[in-house]
Amino acid sequence: MDAWIELARGPLFRLALTICVLFLALRLANAVYLLAAAWWRAGDRDLPWKSVAQATARWLFPYHLLTVRPLYSAASFLFHVGILLLPFFLAGHVALLKGILPTWWPTLAPILADTFTLLSAAAVMAVLLARATTASARALSTVQNVAVLLLLLLVLGAGFFASHPATSPFDARAMLLVHILSGNLALLLTPFTKLVHCILVPLTQLASEVGWHFPAESGRHVAVVLNKENEPV
Amino acid sequence: MAFQCSYYLEPLDTTNLPRRFLDAFAAILAHSNYGPVLDTVARISARCGRCAVTCPVYQASQDPRDIPCMRSELLLTIYRRYFTLAGALKARAGNAFTLTEAYINTLAEEVYRCTACRRCKLECPLGIDHGMITHLARWILAEVGIVPKALRVATREQLDGKTHNTSAIPAAAMQDTCEFLVEDCRDTYGMNISFPIDVEGAEYVFFPAVSDYLLEPDTLMGNAAVLTATGASWTIGSHYFDGINYGLFYSDRMLDRIVSKEAEEVRRLKAQKVLIGECGHASRSAKFFIKTFCGGRAAPEVVNIMEYTWHALRSGKLELRPNAIDARVTYHDPCNIARSGWIIDQPREILRAICADYVDMTPRGKENYCCGGGGGTVSIDEIREFRTKIGGATKAEQIRRTGATILVAPCANCKKQLREVCEDHGLDHVQVVGLHDLVLKAIIPPPHMRVEKPTDPEKDK
Repeated sequence: MDAWIELARGPLFRLALTICVLFLALRLANAVYLLAAAWWRAGDRDLPWKSVAQATARWLFPYHLLTVRPLYSAASFLFHVGILLLPFFLAGHVALLKGILPTWWPTLAPILADTFTLLSAAAVMAVLLARATTASARALSTVQNVAVLLLLLLVLGAGFFASHPATSPFDARAMLLVHILSGNLALLLTPFTKLVHCILVPLTQLASEVGWHFPAESGRHVAVVLNKENEPV
Repeated sequence: MAFQCSYYLEPLDTTNLPRRFLDAFAAILAHSNYGPVLDTVARISARCGRCAVTCPVYQASQDPRDIPCMRSELLLTIYRRYFTLAGALKARAGNAFTLTEAYINTLAEEVYRCTACRRCKLECPLGIDHGMITHLARWILAEVGIVPKALRVATREQLDGKTHNTSAIPAAAMQDTCEFLVEDCRDTYGMNISFPIDVEGAEYVFFPAVSDYLLEPDTLMGNAAVLTATGASWTIGSHYFDGINYGLFYSDRMLDRIVSKEAEEVRRLKAQKVLIGECGHASRSAKFFIKTFCGGRAAPEVVNIMEYTWHALRSGKLELRPNAIDARVTYHDPCNIARSGWIIDQPREILRAICADYVDMTPRGKENYCCGGGGGTVSIDEIREFRTKIGGATKAEQIRRTGATILVAPCANCKKQLREVCEDHGLDHVQVVGLHDLVLKAIIPPPHMRVEKPTDPEKDK
């Protein structure tokens, strides 16, 4: 078992992390390039930067969330807070990233780590429940939507049981292995699934705005390609 | 099965329809800025369902196909399959999605159930603009000949017809109408107004929704009264006088051609600015796309008539009689001018200056609800039941809650739709008017505009 754990948190973790970071960087660079090119060829390059920044900030710090579907929104918000804090500030994770993170990097106190883990897990379950019981969310849910949530629930649950061997109903070493393997899988999947929004979200409002800023010749060029230049309406 | 939509189409050539659809999609992606948007949205769409909660159409229909995310997914599925590497690889592996005529038929039906009000974008944590995706889908469909007949016929007259406007009003008839309105204003309101035609070197060239010349005399008289009272330098161009732009609803190619005609008329008259009448989509298409298609920062500035009136009121150039309107008044924000935050407070300030009992709807401004006839659907008479019973249900409830008997809707499309909504929801006591219809009743004319009202024994009785 120990050999498997070492393999999972050694070479496999480094591989998963490398792929994750590399492809996330590629995704970000690609999005920035595409948006910059689109902006450059727009007939009107005056973008409403202020309202784009406001809309982006509004969703990065969504204090207004509770006005619409409060339970679903609160669960989703808590889930995001936990999922952002735990990977980077849990003492065990920081130890794993020794040499990569600076020495002054803070860690979460165990009680806080447990609280965020349990809240996040509860939030994932609430979101899953909402997806199952709300008509619109159920209609929209795909296999990927549900599978990603289940995977994250597995990461959180296994991690919690692994760190509480005295009270865990499962074997703590086995739980640790499941936690690391599922965590590695989540890292691997992040750039290739909707989880990629973790890196693209600061650009999404801008993308929607740039889309409305058409190239001045867009219509005429489309007409040429489709042989419709002289076609009547 | 024959291609069928709930709206009328002109005879459609369905030969190789999927192939032609994909060719049009490819051409548009290559020459527009929609590519980066689809690339981002296709990756991040979390399908959380918040858009469902904010969409008035879905709220009324409870039909999953009306969820904005669901509708966008129709186009994203095609994009992922035919325009991404992952889609190509999946196709090689077999069992991939294939575009069919039936699928295009579904898309054609769904995109005209959206009013393109873009309310869903406000509540999307990822900022996905489903209105834009609908807009793009409609353009692709238009390039293969799928456009509601009502929109296409009107645009044909505007761009290729003899009259160059969507209502097919000859320039001479427009001038006759203006002369009649001058007389009517003098007789009814005791004010001399003017409608200058083809005045070279004017500051503003005025483009109302052309249907106002047929249907909204009070709005036009109100517009002219404000411009006359403030001594504005303005004119109507006889070569092109229509603010309506259905291109915004179905094709960027048409959008370009129509705003270019406005800019061309401004150039012909050696004028400086475009002045748009009370019309939401006409204002948005001119404000945001004349710059795009007609010279960037060098393009003529675009002003909406409500902005003009508001500035005149604030600067003291326009005097309005307080409490001129006794009845309870409420205001409907046209999506195309309010969603971006452009025109929200200006009309309210004008209304508060003249109404004794003004009440706001909730929500309002940027978060307003669409009248239900947005995105050009108001012009499609054959879908009236859908427009009023589903699309306009939330708005009808909002109007009812205000208790108002006068509903101000400063938009030709919203006015038509809201009159039908009121009819179909038992709100017959509500009068739907333009903002300048009320301004006309409240204006204190400067001396040069005043005339003695001729005595009319019948009216006096």
